Amino acid sequence: MDAVTYPNEEVRDFINTKVIPLRIPADQKPTAGDYDIQWVPAVMIVDQNGKEHHRTIGFMPPDELIASILLGVGNAHCNHGRFSAALECYKQIINQYPRSHSVQEAIFQTGVSRYKSTNNPEPLMEAYEKLYEEYPDDRWTKRASPSRLIPLIME
Amino acid sequence: MGGEIKWETEFDTALTRAKNEGKLIFLDCYNPY
Repeated sequence: MDAVTYPNEEVRDFINTKVIPLRIPADQKPTAGDYDIQWVPAVMIVDQNGKEHHRTIGFMPPDELIASILLGVGNAHCNHGRFSAALECYKQIINQYPRSHSVQEAIFQTGVSRYKSTNNPEPLMEAYEKLYEEYPDDRWTKRASPSRLIPLIME
Repeated sequence: MGGEIKWETEFDTALTRAKNEGKLIFLDCYNPY
């Protein structure tokens, strides 16, 4: 990460402007111990109360890291009921980082956030259909698969 | 912008900034060895 990803200009500008970057040694007590770090690098999105909302371990190239941070920020917004902010993050992943490994979860979470903000289940079905069409073998497609039954339930 | 990532190194400072600036924290736990 120090050799490739963090020196990248887009990564540097994104992190400096969109989040609060915090770096601590994995063996630092008590902070790192509170997060049960088992492997490094471990990067997380943490809210203002210290609650973790997203974690990845291992190396990530620049595009993957930005998409991963956006996903974590989006998930934190979703968990706090800030659905419009969450949807903006997921949209940015889908449109700007379509080849990243975060895009499938972003599609899934788009359905979840839209459902939670409206109580309308159709966005869940739409998310599944998009996943099935574009990423039929992905784990998030499988996780969304019960939503294919929504039309039967709604009849 | 130029320069480097402006890392905080103290957890409490990052929490305070997160509250004041309305942002989330990007926490990197790295191998110090």
